[in-house]
Amino acid sequence: MRILFVCSAGMSSAIVVNALKKEAEKNGIEMEVLAVSTQEFGEEVKKGWDAAMVAPQVRHRFDWLKKEAEAASVPCDLIPPQAYTPLGGPLLFQKVKELVG
Amino acid sequence: MDRVVNFLDRYFSGPVARLAEQRHLRAIRDGVISALPFIIIGSFFLIIAFPPVPADWAIAQWAKEHVLEILIPYRLTMFIMSLYIAYGIGHNLAKSYNVDPLAGAQIAIAAYLLTIAPKVMDGVGYVLPMTNLGGHGLFVAMLSSIFAVEILRICKQKNITIKMPEQVPPSLIRSFEALIPVAIVIVLMTMITVVLGLDLHSLVDKLVAPLVQAGDSLPGILIPVFLITFFWAFGIHGVSIVGTIARPLWEVYLAKNAEAVAAGETIPHVAPETFYQWFIWIGGSGATLGLVICMLFFSQSKYSRTLGRTAVVPGIFNINEPVIFGVPIVLNPTMIIPFVLTPLITATLSYFATVLGFVNPTYIMPPWTLPAPIGAYLATGGDWRAVILVFINIAISFVVYFPFFKMYEKKILEQEKMEETVGA
Repeated sequence: MRILFVCSAGMSSAIVVNALKKEAEKNGIEMEVLAVSTQEFGEEVKKGWDAAMVAPQVRHRFDWLKKEAEAASVPCDLIPPQAYTPLGGPLLFQKVKELVG
Repeated sequence: MDRVVNFLDRYFSGPVARLAEQRHLRAIRDGVISALPFIIIGSFFLIIAFPPVPADWAIAQWAKEHVLEILIPYRLTMFIMSLYIAYGIGHNLAKSYNVDPLAGAQIAIAAYLLTIAPKVMDGVGYVLPMTNLGGHGLFVAMLSSIFAVEILRICKQKNITIKMPEQVPPSLIRSFEALIPVAIVIVLMTMITVVLGLDLHSLVDKLVAPLVQAGDSLPGILIPVFLITFFWAFGIHGVSIVGTIARPLWEVYLAKNAEAVAAGETIPHVAPETFYQWFIWIGGSGATLGLVICMLFFSQSKYSRTLGRTAVVPGIFNINEPVIFGVPIVLNPTMIIPFVLTPLITATLSYFATVLGFVNPTYIMPPWTLPAPIGAYLATGGDWRAVILVFINIAISFVVYFPFFKMYEKKILEQEKMEETVGA
């Protein structure tokens, strides 16, 4: 499963990415996760991702990020704030599973 | 209280945040950000030229003798930052219109350069005065880049181009496509600068002078500080919203401070972005490093201790989303109070410390992920008193957060107890 994360600078979501990876491992799913900034997102999302997750603090950019994702036919959704913490792995994992379907 | 928070989120912070995503504002923001690596690296040559060591040391002597050469990299990067920014704005604005970004960047550069009249120097030939390519010219760079890309975009959308037969290769078609918009931009800009003899830079200078002065005052610092934490309180990246509007001004201060240092003059401005970064946002927006210390050493709940342990390392490098969403501070009235209050206090203290000459104003831009004491030391050109100010501000942050943290932790402890009894 390949999941693309996007936040302001691609830094904070990197922390959450680790929580997600750990949770996926527990569930026996191999997951490749990358965190990018909103500026990089448009180019990166074209490179064959299974889902794109938008960090809550850039939700004011969600509309155009989603458009960029849709143009590449990648499902895209917001990360709930409660899941966007180092301890939010399980909730985040669930959300990702829902999105990928 | 919860109702107030929800109301503000729906009718204020949300709409304003979306406003900041307006196409031109976004292009300016991304254009300025794209130039930051050149500003960061360029500014470091100022430290080499003016090393923070006693004047009789060999390295200080060497730097003094070679100051002109040492500053050449600075002169060709940070000192002419607006040239880089114009390119970035042109690129990003064109991209947002789905117009060839390279054409956008190039036409923006042409329009901007045409605001500056070259001079003839004996024995040298034509020279371009560099001052207006720097912080001084930033507002003109923003306006001329937008103007040029708009012309390019309108020509493309209204199909005002020279049509070529189909057999012509695409790369050739592209270069012909740009002919009409480039002609319009060059002729119009030439009219302004050469025919009418208007100096756009001094004109815009006069227009923005009140703004430049206001942004450097105590209220001019406290308002963005308040707004940044205010947005974060709703979980929206405050710096990315407020910075969209304020960053050009912050870069102008930084550029002028650096220019003053390079020229051996008194540093004029208190409030470049580096001031906010190194004295106020210690541990991230909301100055949360003090809160992380509370969680690490003074918490009784399991949750806070675990969160403190995972948040401390990112916090040292000024990344605090784990704190903002983990504690959480977002939509949590108890924790929003110190989150807004702490930076206002430390900003006021740091403002007076700078104005009264207790610490040097900042003029170098270290990358924002350095630990604050190191960043503040570098940003002030090696002023150890800046390091002391950072530690004082961390102490203030700890003291302000502590009572609110304890108040909030009571709730968490109750919850943990309840879960335990239910679990057992």
